[in-house]
Amino acid sequence: MDYLATKYLRPRKIPSTACSGCGLGQAHKKVVKAIDELGLGIGDVIWGTGIGCAGRQTFNTWKGDNFAGTHGRAYAIATGLRMALAPDKKIIMTVGDGDAFGIGFLHLLNCARRNVGMTVIVLDNLGYQSTGGQYGWTTPRGYRTDSSPYGMREPNWTQEGRDVLNILREAGATFLARYTSLQGQEAVEAIKKAIMNNGFSLVHMPYPCVTNFAERALGTRKPVEIYKWFGEHTCSMHEKGPDDFAFRTGIYHDASNSRPEFSEYMKTWVAEIQRRYS
Amino acid sequence: MRRTLDTGNAAITEGAIIAGCRLFAGYPITPATEIAENMSRRLPQVGGYYVQAEDEMTALHICIGGSLGGLKTMTATSGPGFILYADPMGWALGSEIPLVVVNAQRVGPVSGITGAPGQGEFYMSRYPTQGGNYETIVLAPNSVQEAFSITVEAFYLAERFRMPVIILADQLVTDGWESLSIPETPEEVEAMGLKVIPRRINEGPEFYPATDEIDIPPVVLGHNTDAACSDWTPTPEGYDTEEVDFQHKHAYRLIYKVRNHKDLITRYESYFVDDNPDLILVAYGSPSRVVISAVKQAREKGLKVGALRLISLWPFPDEIFKVPAKYLSVELNYDGQLVREVQRAMPKGSEVHFFGKCGELPTVAELEEMMQALLAGKEIKARNWEWEAW
Ligand code: SF4
Repeated sequence: MDYLATKYLRPRKIPSTACSGCGLGQAHKKVVKAIDELGLGIGDVIWGTGIGCAGRQTFNTWKGDNFAGTHGRAYAIATGLRMALAPDKKIIMTVGDGDAFGIGFLHLLNCARRNVGMTVIVLDNLGYQSTGGQYGWTTPRGYRTDSSPYGMREPNWTQEGRDVLNILREAGATFLARYTSLQGQEAVEAIKKAIMNNGFSLVHMPYPCVTNFAERALGTRKPVEIYKWFGEHTCSMHEKGPDDFAFRTGIYHDASNSRPEFSEYMKTWVAEIQRRYS
Repeated sequence: MRRTLDTGNAAITEGAIIAGCRLFAGYPITPATEIAENMSRRLPQVGGYYVQAEDEMTALHICIGGSLGGLKTMTATSGPGFILYADPMGWALGSEIPLVVVNAQRVGPVSGITGAPGQGEFYMSRYPTQGGNYETIVLAPNSVQEAFSITVEAFYLAERFRMPVIILADQLVTDGWESLSIPETPEEVEAMGLKVIPRRINEGPEFYPATDEIDIPPVVLGHNTDAACSDWTPTPEGYDTEEVDFQHKHAYRLIYKVRNHKDLITRYESYFVDDNPDLILVAYGSPSRVVISAVKQAREKGLKVGALRLISLWPFPDEIFKVPAKYLSVELNYDGQLVREVQRAMPKGSEVHFFGKCGELPTVAELEEMMQALLAGKEIKARNWEWEAW
């Protein structure tokens, strides 16, 4: 991260206070790398975050402008912000799975419906890890957490034929992808495409939580074990993958720049009304 | 000056536009729906945006985002929507986001009766969110014309204090039709005693100074100021921190920027309080119209009564309760919300009584009966919640 960190991130926040071995840093780096490879500068990006490990560890790491929403609300704040910002400013958000697919899901769906210009990177640690490790919306079925001591029994958003990305596609999102933090340049390329889409983009990026999740679910805090487990459960979106569950990865939906971006559409429309009434 | 006949909802809309509001996000709710409708019609004409949100919580978050991007923003609702503001309201207070929130109060509890006036959110407008450690600014119009001017003023105070300002109206003020004068030039705005300040941009690096100062420009994103704002306890630069020392400083600022400049906020009207009346009626919003009429009539009949009409509700204007007297709080609720504040603020030797109505105004005759009885020191049989000695 050194070169990228020096160029884009605040020394006061890097390294972060994430647990050692946490996959969050890898995921964070991929986002910054994508920004760098696109040739974007510090002033081109407004960085938004939510709450939880992803939110807390990435908030105000960006050298430029930063905001953090209360739990799940960053998307609604970003909608208003988008209306006010110059069109060339990018809103990039790193949020958690609970933030995006749980408490903030209503806002996320409506951002997709409106096609509000923002790139949401969901850094997914498979549950509520910053509160000690409770199950969430992407915790695989059957796995133990502190709030599912007998195994997670609730239907989640990623198994049994459900995929949260399909819901977001139906809602109107114009770019959707899933890669784990362990994947390489292909994940960076997907983030680049997401950022270049002038509309609502979301990249779902599961990453290994080496402490709370790994300990309850896999019975070990050895980072190597959960990294191995991640690798075993990762497959292409076109494959079926392992029986119990899989991170099915790839670019799910690329309708980049096919629908008007909400704030631009509104600005054009308002200019038309003004013309009529002036 | 454009003279017209219109509703409080229209007055609030025009006031907002003159104050520079260019983004309104809202959710339909009686009796504030017309503000949303008027905004959806008027804002595009002046280059502004109307967004219909998926709920009130979203509406206020969108306003926060718009304000963070440099637009002046407003949302409007009634009680059942006001409770959904709790989440974004905390964010807006904590991060010092200038914006305006209107609550056209209707009668509760819960969804209550949609088209009937109430005054149930007096305390909720003081504590609209979690965590404490802040003051709020709350203004209450009692006429269509005042709904206009208070809206302009609310935006002015929001910019100066960089915080959300709440307009606590009621259904009679928002839905009621009255004559309305709308200034058409900056000179006319000024002649009405109204001020408009444009949005300024905080250049940093200290976005959250630990002082009680006002007139500090708010955080605006997208202008290369390297700003940071969040729901966390901030350092002056906006970094999130777990250090209690910073929490003290943050709380100090949120509380004392308001308390130490209360004189810029406090507004009220007093009637016949200079000759130490025996009884003083207290009211805000639409009931104050009846109270003022009743007190004037009573004076003509020789009753030594006065009235205090509160225009700013929070911070509560303790200092205007100077005269030891019997106080009668007249409100559109049955639980007597103002009563406790009057009781706290009134001088020694005073007592406070309560007359509540819901869904409709008290009549002058009813108030006269109360005044006669209280002045005569009569033991009045409490009619349950309708009227009881507190
Ligand atoms: S709790 Fe898990 S996800 Fe959170 S910082 Fe620690 S290792 Fe990472």
